[in-house]
Formats: sequence, C-alpha cells, structure tokens
Amino acid sequence: MSYTLQFGQIWPYLPSLLAGAWLSLQIAFVAFCGGLLIGTAGATALSFGAGPLRRLVRGYVTFFTNTPQLVQIYFLYFALPDAGILLSSYTAVLIGMTLNAGAYLTDIQRAGFESVRSSEMEAAEVLGFGRMQQVRYVILPHVARVLFPPLSNQYIIMTLGTSMAAIFGVEELTGRAFNINSQTFRSIEVFSVTAALYVVITLVATVVLGLIGRFAFRARMRLV
Amino acid sequence: MLDRLLTELPQFLGYYNVIFLAKAALATVALAAVGSVTGSLVGLLLAVARLTRSHWLAPIRWVAVIFTELFRRIPFLVTLMLVFFAFQLSGVDLPLFVVALTAVFLIAAAYLAEIIRSGFESVHRNQWDAAQAMNFSLIETVRYIVLPQAWRVILPPAFAFFVMFIKDTALASQIGVIELTYAGKVLNNKGFSAALVFGTLLLLYFFISYPLARLGAHLEARLAGARHQ
Repeated sequence: MSYTLQFGQIWPYLPSLLAGAWLSLQIAFVAFCGGLLIGTAGATALSFGAGPLRRLVRGYVTFFTNTPQLVQIYFLYFALPDAGILLSSYTAVLIGMTLNAGAYLTDIQRAGFESVRSSEMEAAEVLGFGRMQQVRYVILPHVARVLFPPLSNQYIIMTLGTSMAAIFGVEELTGRAFNINSQTFRSIEVFSVTAALYVVITLVATVVLGLIGRFAFRARMRLV
Repeated sequence: MLDRLLTELPQFLGYYNVIFLAKAALATVALAAVGSVTGSLVGLLLAVARLTRSHWLAPIRWVAVIFTELFRRIPFLVTLMLVFFAFQLSGVDLPLFVVALTAVFLIAAAYLAEIIRSGFESVHRNQWDAAQAMNFSLIETVRYIVLPQAWRVILPPAFAFFVMFIKDTALASQIGVIELTYAGKVLNNKGFSAALVFGTLLLLYFFISYPLARLGAHLEARLAGARHQ
C-alpha cells in the first residue's frame, strides 16, 4: 500500500471550500444571535420570573443540555414531517442549533447575572442611583465583563458545531469537504485542508473576540 | 401521529430491540469513558511537557502547544473523518469502534491538557517556588505538591468534558460505529417512525447524561467548598 499525498488536485476546489467556510460562519453567527436572545430571555426568567415559568425554563435548559444536538436535529428533520411540519435541512439545522445554543447561553447568562453581588447594588443605592442608572452603570458593565469570555468561548464551540450540518446535506465547510471527497477520493488531503480552515477561522475569531473583550469590556482574556 | 406511535410501541419494545439499544448505549458510554481516561493520561503528559524549561526540550513543548491548540479547533466530525481515512490508508484492519475511540482520544487529550494546565495554574506561585527551593525536580513537584492541590480544580471540568462527550459521540454514527444514534438509525430504517425512534434516543441520552451531570455539579460544589475552607 503506498499512497502519495497530492494536494495539487485539491487546490482547484479551494474557492468552494472557502465559500463553505463562509456559510459555516453565517450559520454559527445566526444561531448564536438567536441563542443569545433565547438565553437572555431565559436567564431573566430564571432570575426574576414566577415559579412555573422558572420551572419551564429550567426544564428546557436541562433537556437540551443533556441530549446530543445531532439527535435533536434528527428529530426536527425526520420526525416533524409526521406531524405535517416539513423543514428544509438548512432550516432544521438552524432551528436545532439555535434551540441548543439558547439552552447553553441561558445557563451561562444566569451565572453572569448571579455574579453581581448584592453589596454592589446596595452601594449603588447608597449613592442615590435610580433603577435605570443601576442597570446602566453597575449591572451592565459588570455582567458584560464577566460574560464576555464564556460567551466568546461558546461562539467558538458553535463554529465547530456547525460541521454537524454536513450530515443533513447543508453545503457548509464540512459538507463541501464530503462532496469534494466523493468527487476526487483524495480523502486525507480534503479533510486536512478542511481541518486547517477550521483552525484558521477559529483562531481569527479567538483573536478578534479577545481584542474586543479586552478593550471594550476590560475582560481578562487570552488572545491565543 | 400519536396513535401511530402507540400502535408501533409494543413491537418497538420487543426483546431484541431493547437488547440492541442497551448494547448501543453501553458502546456510547464506553467510547466517552475510555476516550476520556486515556485522553487524561496523555493530557497530563502534555500539560507537564509545557512546564519544562530546558532548551533541549523546546521541541517537545512546541509539539504539546500545537497539539492542544490544533485539536481544540477542529470539529469532532472532521477529526473522525481524518482518523477514519488515515486508518484506511495505513491498511490496518481495525474495528470501527477503535477508529472512533482514537478520534475521541485525540480530542480528549487536547481538551484535558488544557483543563489540567489551568488546574496547575490555580496552584499558588509560592508553592512552585518552595518546591524549587527544596530542590524538587519537575516530576516531583507535580507529583507531591501540585497534583494533590490541583485535582480539586481539575476534576469537575474534566468530568463535565466526559459527560459532554457522551453526547458528542453521536457523530461516530457517521462512520458506522454501532452506538446509540446508529442503533436509532437502524431501527428507523427498519420502518419504525422517526418520532418514536429519535424521541426514544433523546430520552435514553437524557437518562444517561442527566444523572452524570448532576453528579458532576455535586462534585464541583463539594470540591469547591473543601477548597475554600
């Protein structure tokens, strides 16, 4: 058995892979933003909501964080048509990733809310801050500083998680790699170039998010 | 939809299907557990390698840094495919379970190296200096001074990683490893409705992952409490 690596056959497909990487970034970004909305609502409900609402949110978070995202999307994609809801693979992946992200981001944001100590709020009250001033000058800066590092970490994890979409035929980075592999059969080459592209896009994301975190929120973050 | 589920249910819960799913669930847990345990051993080696200071060992440090950075930035699915095709090319005929295990091991080693490294960093600088003043070697320092204090910091996130990988190994179904998700796909292909099969899968994963996640949270609370006494 001798196999010689021939990256030359892969280069013509590089633009296609890059387009796939762009789609991966889009999916991660949209799902993250959706998840952030759900997470903010969920964490607010957990911190200030009434009993039944809290239990409902807790149930949602517990269920989605304890089951695989892949099987959640399988359920959306294959089981919902039985109930007459037909989703395209792209929509199913996006909804699945958003719901999954929402659960994790609820948990992360709740921890961030809880990190505001009551003594800080009392100090703000003593200084005569109004409710909105407390939110603007005490809670938000504190929460942003504490939350930015775990949120950007989650964003990186989600960028890697988008590779799951390939299984449903979405043509993002890994999906394109599957297609190119079945056209050229240069498996090792295709998948190592794909892996390298993931390393590059997550490294760029880490550096950019680290810079934003350091200078905008004064968060303690490692750049690499 | 619901009446269809109810009519299928008795047949779905037949003896052979239940055994099939139970075996698959066992494979899922074994994949995550064996991968995490072997990964943590190599992760420890990588974390210690990054602590060395000698010029001669610089290449080893670089390998450790590159390994941990690389495998934390490649999706599990892509690592799985790379390992799968690499084994195929090498001509070694290994069971698919071992192929998936290798991929889990690689990723676990990278993540656990990082977890162990941050555990090491949690040990106060003075402890390291004191060890050096007493002429402890690096291995002795880690063995007698750092690990006895750092394991409380390392264990909770390492356990959380293991629980996370019980869910992430669902992707191993893509190369044909007979674990829980693959078993579900087989049953679905046999004609059971997707809602029934994938709903059952979600429940099974939940019943494996939830108690372990609770145990992890309990562990974290206990160990953190003991640490701040």
